[in-house]
Amino acid sequence: MATTTATVSINSSDLIPGQPLSINASHTLTKSGLTEGLEIIDMGRGVLTEASAADALAEALGTADTSNWIYLCNKSTNDLHYIKVGIHDTLIGHLGAGEWLWMPWNMGDNVAEINIEAEGVTGSSITYEYAIFQESKTLPAKT
Amino acid sequence: MATLTPTLILNSADATTDVLNFSVTDSLNITGDVVSLNRVALSTGDLTLLAAASYTKSYVYLKNTDNSIVINIDFGSTLSIALAAGELAFFPWESSQNIVAASASGTPVLEYALFEA
Repeated sequence: MATTTATVSINSSDLIPGQPLSINASHTLTKSGLTEGLEIIDMGRGVLTEASAADALAEALGTADTSNWIYLCNKSTNDLHYIKVGIHDTLIGHLGAGEWLWMPWNMGDNVAEINIEAEGVTGSSITYEYAIFQESKTLPAKT
Repeated sequence: MATLTPTLILNSADATTDVLNFSVTDSLNITGDVVSLNRVALSTGDLTLLAAASYTKSYVYLKNTDNSIVINIDFGSTLSIALAAGELAFFPWESSQNIVAASASGTPVLEYALFEA
């Protein structure tokens, strides 16, 4: 069983006067329950074009209600570029230039895809970086 | 205006043949409200943790501090995130729908913070 550890730290020296913020939290990626090991890993980079529709970064192809994790980063350096991130019809948030997210994705049903869409400057492109750790994945059927 | 520096580190020596050792950081401008690190005991009933009407774009940190019970996070009424024991998340929130929390059972404690852009 593979052991993968995620650590998120959030720091600020000027958020609250006289009280520097220093959050440092870690967890080990587990399958449903507390069994360690998410061995299905998909990592890479891609490019989104503004004005195109939302694309599925990952389809919910696997067992529903399982443990899966998403890292996504907007690699653009243009402050006008952002990526809309959603789970099916639910908007989670807008990833601005340089911003990233780390969140579980539980594939609650077979349409609970993670979708992304470039926004900000007509016709421009946004490079994104991602990693998906999955407990369960069913390969698409052969065409 | 304050500066928030979030960092994510992913490590694994045995997930694949190639060692995973990955880090990403960012520098975020925080100009609005801050909900400093806070803890709340949940029940199986829905609790509106963060009301969409109260914030604009924000960054949200969530951590399930329990060692066995799952915490469910809804955006509006749609179950979107299940935080298992000890798990955490950090993400931008567009404030288009409330963030609602409930336990799968019992009274686990959720740790959270919000930073409004």
